[in-house]
Amino acid sequence: MASRNGRFVMGIDFGSTTSKTVILDLQGRVVATAIAHKGSVSNEGAQVSMREALAQAGIGEADIARAVSTGYGRRMLDIADKSYTEITCHARGAAHLMPQARMVIDIGGQDSKVIAIDGNGLVSQFAMNDRCAAGTGKFLEALARAVQVPLEEMGPLAITARDKLSISNMCATFAETEVISLLAEGKAKHEVLGAVHAAIASRTLGLVARVGQRQPIVMTGGVAQNIAAVRHIEQALGTALLIPDNPQAAGALGAALFALDEVSAPKTADEEDRLDSAAEVSHCGTPACAAKEAGAGTQVLHGPLRR
Amino acid sequence: MPAQAILAQFEAAAEGPLSWATEWKRTHGTRLLGTFPMHFPGEMAHAAGCLPLILQEQQDPITVGHGMIYPFYCGYTRSIVDQACKGEFEALDAIMFGDHCVQVLGAADVVRAKLPNTWVHFYQLISSMSDPWSLSRARETFAQLKAGIEEMTGQPLADDAIRSSIRLFNRNRDLLRQLYELRREGRIQFSARQMQLAVKSSMVMDKALHNELLKQLLAQLLSARPSTGSGVRVYLSGHFCQAPKTGILDLIEDCGGIVVDDDLYHGTRFISTDVDEVGDPLTALAQWYLARNLKVPCPTRVDQKADWETYLLGAMERAKAEGMIVLMAKFCEPHMYYYPEIKEAFERRGVPHLLIETEHELNMLEGLRTRVESFLEVVKRRAGAPTRRVA
Repeated sequence: MASRNGRFVMGIDFGSTTSKTVILDLQGRVVATAIAHKGSVSNEGAQVSMREALAQAGIGEADIARAVSTGYGRRMLDIADKSYTEITCHARGAAHLMPQARMVIDIGGQDSKVIAIDGNGLVSQFAMNDRCAAGTGKFLEALARAVQVPLEEMGPLAITARDKLSISNMCATFAETEVISLLAEGKAKHEVLGAVHAAIASRTLGLVARVGQRQPIVMTGGVAQNIAAVRHIEQALGTALLIPDNPQAAGALGAALFALDEVSAPKTADEEDRLDSAAEVSHCGTPACAAKEAGAGTQVLHGPLRR
Repeated sequence: MPAQAILAQFEAAAEGPLSWATEWKRTHGTRLLGTFPMHFPGEMAHAAGCLPLILQEQQDPITVGHGMIYPFYCGYTRSIVDQACKGEFEALDAIMFGDHCVQVLGAADVVRAKLPNTWVHFYQLISSMSDPWSLSRARETFAQLKAGIEEMTGQPLADDAIRSSIRLFNRNRDLLRQLYELRREGRIQFSARQMQLAVKSSMVMDKALHNELLKQLLAQLLSARPSTGSGVRVYLSGHFCQAPKTGILDLIEDCGGIVVDDDLYHGTRFISTDVDEVGDPLTALAQWYLARNLKVPCPTRVDQKADWETYLLGAMERAKAEGMIVLMAKFCEPHMYYYPEIKEAFERRGVPHLLIETEHELNMLEGLRTRVESFLEVVKRRAGAPTRRVA
């Protein structure tokens, strides 16, 4: 757990494919941003991004007053004082970067999320892909392999597509089969990639419909750096998207802002958590429960969101 | 008996219903009468000297059953068909099917075909609940059911025997409702998983034994220290025929939610309504059938005097729940048809709710964790958020 006397706060987004770390000073200025890609939910990646961020800022871990984690691996980091979901953190980060935003589309490595935010930058509603990675960064990675185009070249190539080819937007495996079929029919790679990005846009449109479209819309996450994905989503939604400078780090920024809240106004942070602040960790009396201290008739409350 | 030992007995029956019932049959010589869930009056089977066993979805992967039923049927019907195809219902002396949805009908057909030597009775309860003829039609169906049981056992079923079983079953429902009430008031610590085990085991175990265990459990829980934990008070809604996976219940509470009430079939829906113990037992059961739909409305029934969304809003208020999590079994048509009305009503009233679609094959809980945690974060912030304008 971080020292409470430091002069900086840290937000770590321990994502499914990349880890992002943002360090802020106590005035809320970004002093470091680091992104590491080390494989699925990689603790090594998280450590690398934190080390890089600390090095960029020229500080050590002891200078961190408060750290908040988010992302798939958010509960795996000892340094974090607290964790929030990536939905909450992307909303906070995006609203900070684009205060006029009322909706956030976050497409990351494994998940895509659409988040409606209120005037306070807080989540009011959200929708998220549930069990399939269709329409996410993983979807793009799988299809980049099928087309044999480097991931970073997909967007610029796809944007040149002119035909209206169509592929499934429901499943990466089905989509890969369709991509191979289109290539076998002699369709050009850039046209096939255009269809891949259109499929992502269709998937996103479905999530937006579940929440109800609001504007302005900010797009965050790694896929926001893909020009073709952005263009297709804009066409599907009929509106321009706001893309922050470093969309991939918006979640880590949101986490860092929550950490800053707690340093600058700890009572406010406590108030936000008042409902679970008195939570007592006890264990389940069910025989199958793995809890070590299982006691008869006690309720499972293995721990609230507060770490 | 210590509470943990009682819960172990509940768990054994709830998680291995066929094994438990088969052992009971072996040691007590009782006939086993398997039923589909939702609307079967177990009292009549019990009065006839049978052990009524509500057939349960099992967690095993569905394999050979997929040769007999579509993969887009709900997990419950697919699992039932799979169990029938694997010969797991061999110990049952009889099965009684209701027809509350088309998928259940499909499953019933397969089970009948797969178990040619098992005595099967099919009953069709009126689903229109507030017509002038609803009561008489429901009584008629229960009379047919009684005749079917008499045919199966070869013995007449006396009214007094049914009344005696009604009293036993009422006592069971009352004891389970006490557990709910005490949990709602925070006077006992009892997790959602434990509550499910208590209710689900009641669908399997002999009622007299279950009542005895429940009495002991209540005494144990009341003598333990009261609940001091806090978290977001969550109301669970949905899941009719099958019990939600206990991993999902654990996850909700692990994320900082406290389940305070529900309308699940493996919960309040099962125990909501008692049967009149005095009058004509068939009329009493027919009245029970109609009344329980007013207590906890069911989307497979049509009743002009009840709507589910209004019930849910009121139930949440009574339980002081701050958010509702809807567990919708994929592809439960009655629930899918009804859900938009719930969503609209909850959004209109600004009451937070989260829809989770569940399925037999659902094992990836981490993505679900993110959604549940985010939902609880939203609920908490709505309940106690300071006004903080965006910088």
